[in-house]
Amino acid sequence: MTDIASTPWVGRSQPAEEAPEIVTGALQYVTDLRLPGTLHGVVVRSTVPHARLDGVDVDAARELEGVAAVLVAADVPVNALGPRDVDGPVLADTVVRQVGEAIALVAAKDAATAHRAAALVRVALTPLPVVSDMAAALDDDAPRLHAHGNLSGRIAFRSGDVDAALAGAHLVVHHEVRTPGQEHVAIETPGGTAIWEDGHATVWCGSQNPGLHQRKIARALGVEPDHVRMIGGPVGGAFGARNDDPMPVYLALLARATGRPVRLHTTREEVMTAGAKRHPFRTEITVGFDADGRILGSRVRALADTGPVITSGPNVMKTSAEMSTGPYAFEAAEFDGTVVYTNNANAGAFRGYGVPQVAFAVENAMTRAAQRLGVDPVEIRLRNALRGGDRHSLYGHLTTESLRVDEALRIAGAHPLWADRDEWAAGATWPWRRGTGVAVAMKGVGMGSGTGDTARARLRIDGTGHVTIWAGPNHTGQSIQTTYRQVAADTLGMSYDDVSVIVGDTAVVPESGPTAASRSTYAGGAAVHAVCLALREDCERLGLHLDTDAAGTGEKLEALGRAEHAAEFRLPDTEHIGLVPHADLATFAPHRVYGSCAQVVRAEVNVLTGEIRVPELLCALDCGTPINPGGVLGQAEGGILQGLGLALMEDHVVTDGIPRTTSLENYLAPTVADAPRMHTVLVPGAEATGPYGAKGMSEVVVVPTPPALAAAVLDAVGVLPAELPVTPERLLALMEEVA
Amino acid sequence: MRVNGQSVDLAAAADALGVKVDEVAGTRLLDVLRDGLGLTGAKEGCGMGECGSCTVLVDGRAVCSCLVLQGQVTDADVETVEGLADRGGADLQEAFVRRQAVQCGYCIPGVLMSCAALLERVPEPTDDDIRGALDGNLCRCTGYNRFHDAVHDVARGRCAGAS
Repeated sequence: MTDIASTPWVGRSQPAEEAPEIVTGALQYVTDLRLPGTLHGVVVRSTVPHARLDGVDVDAARELEGVAAVLVAADVPVNALGPRDVDGPVLADTVVRQVGEAIALVAAKDAATAHRAAALVRVALTPLPVVSDMAAALDDDAPRLHAHGNLSGRIAFRSGDVDAALAGAHLVVHHEVRTPGQEHVAIETPGGTAIWEDGHATVWCGSQNPGLHQRKIARALGVEPDHVRMIGGPVGGAFGARNDDPMPVYLALLARATGRPVRLHTTREEVMTAGAKRHPFRTEITVGFDADGRILGSRVRALADTGPVITSGPNVMKTSAEMSTGPYAFEAAEFDGTVVYTNNANAGAFRGYGVPQVAFAVENAMTRAAQRLGVDPVEIRLRNALRGGDRHSLYGHLTTESLRVDEALRIAGAHPLWADRDEWAAGATWPWRRGTGVAVAMKGVGMGSGTGDTARARLRIDGTGHVTIWAGPNHTGQSIQTTYRQVAADTLGMSYDDVSVIVGDTAVVPESGPTAASRSTYAGGAAVHAVCLALREDCERLGLHLDTDAAGTGEKLEALGRAEHAAEFRLPDTEHIGLVPHADLATFAPHRVYGSCAQVVRAEVNVLTGEIRVPELLCALDCGTPINPGGVLGQAEGGILQGLGLALMEDHVVTDGIPRTTSLENYLAPTVADAPRMHTVLVPGAEATGPYGAKGMSEVVVVPTPPALAAAVLDAVGVLPAELPVTPERLLALMEEVA
Repeated sequence: MRVNGQSVDLAAAADALGVKVDEVAGTRLLDVLRDGLGLTGAKEGCGMGECGSCTVLVDGRAVCSCLVLQGQVTDADVETVEGLADRGGADLQEAFVRRQAVQCGYCIPGVLMSCAALLERVPEPTDDDIRGALDGNLCRCTGYNRFHDAVHDVARGRCAGAS
């Protein structure tokens, strides 16, 4: 346990190190780079959802003056975005499976010429029947997107006798919930610049996983990974969208084909059409309760639409499976999740990674049970809360002591937003009614047991005593370098200003995996801690002092050839894997470490229009030690608003394979006018395996918001929404149906 | 057109844009700033006036520079985030840093220009004033709460300084 009162840097709010450059406009994002002689790239995309690709005629486009390259599938040395067929091609070859799928790449002397050339590319297509309904994707007569059919993945697990538990229940709650595709809306659309020199590619493009993109580029170009340098930032937002993005591959292909710098910057319409979304889910849940509201058993069946290629589909469902029992302790649970291919929007990683979808089902069941049984909604959750050190309800593995679901709930329950809800509701004036809702969630930190999840760090001290650390995961808006510097400064006993951190560049940063799975602070911070400890221990053995004589120490270590260190942090597997067969550990990847979050939402509902306003919200966040508390609060607030967007307005609509919400005019993301005043309370705690007791938190904050909003609607107007987003139209229809 | 107090050399801008001088007037202000003048603080997030990341001040008013042609602002004073400190906005920039109101930061130049325009018009803005001024600036990272905190800080600081 760390006493952060005694650490000069850890536990202090520290502005992001690049913030001064951001506020002056000086920070050059990957799409701001301007290299002399740069060509402009454009992607030619499919306008139909499913068709045989009979041919692509690029002759006219290539002949246009100022065009440097027009590439089709046959021009890609290895036309694959991953090792499996279902990873999809870089450029469509025999078939297109989605509106927006890339068919050709153009590079020209300027943007106008590139667009003119793109318009000259003639694509010959024979339309194929479209799979647009995820529920029909596995029907015998459904058109097949892949040779083996439309099943992308399935994960099922059972613990205990669920039938007996449900049969003996005092109350059984059963419902299906639906959650939509959600667009990341990172404000910087995908893009960047690439160069090809002496057989080496350098690519500046936003990435949550520069090492993975380096390998993807190398595969497509047919070169060794060390001939590719991927620089993954600075980037304007990620939220999962920079995990599966093929943009770095497009850039590298065009740079090699032309031998010149190439710049690409996709339009908002392109990314909204072609970019991966949060997986749409249909989740059916049955939960049995005893008369006191204790859960006896649950059965969850989930169906997810991953679109035409696999991206993260089955891995997302893996996380759904693990969180299908919510943050609750009970004896009998069953999960069966199926991921299917369709011609709808490709779906991939999005903050929360399969948890918001199933949590909406679970928490709605808790809300309903509390109502039916007449138990306080906080109390029913407390009665079932999984406590640190408990066994997980589906897999039976051990959680760590740092889990604080119950404390998060107690903080929520004691907060005036919850405690004073009756007085607040009484203040409503017609046609508005007021309600308050609560929900809680947990999510694993890191990739899970059996996955070999590893973060690495390198360090060098120079003769002036300055320490430079190269570490990952990358920064995509979390000011992760700032966090790493705080960890390093305290571990070394040095000043924050005497430590630099570099992230995101495969040429210098050791492979550290993705900025994903709430792992950057936890795993990356632990790797930084480890490499700093290595230096400190060296100094202690040699009688050198970093705190009082860093320059002298640096000089001596350089002279001794001991100025550099490397270290790694491997995510610890759960200590007891419970019911999971050892050979299948990575298949289910149960977590050892979890964070949790309880939220209270106040909602005002207009009974005439169905409009919902959320003026205030409480978030009680169990994140272990907050290394940079201001950064944690900012991440919480941003995540909550993404959860509220999913709850109230965000809905990527695709009908018959045609995306309908392809601009910010008809895809609504929350503005400042939609943002409630958010109060975040950090739950005291520390995770023994994390750096200074920290654990990840950026995903779990998204999860409770939609079910807490639904519960607030129930409290206000007596109906519990089962489909997200809860638009005014849907809510009015629901109120009329019940009336 | 003056940008951040300096007259623009249209010939040089045209050269950088790769167009003829008389074509600059038909070029989006955003492109003139970014590609003609190398002022990449204003960002493009949607190209249709929905996200606000290209917001600059035209004669003191916050506008989306993706919706304006250079020929529409030939006699105007254009101000971008690069000129904000020189026009007395350093306190606003510092408040955003101090309040940790910046995450990925891509929307921030536009947000700052909208805030600067608001504070000129309304020295002590309410939360509703701030919502009104920023409802055209989309931010996906922060949840907006810290923008309010930063603007209130600046308003307090300026009032204290003025009294």
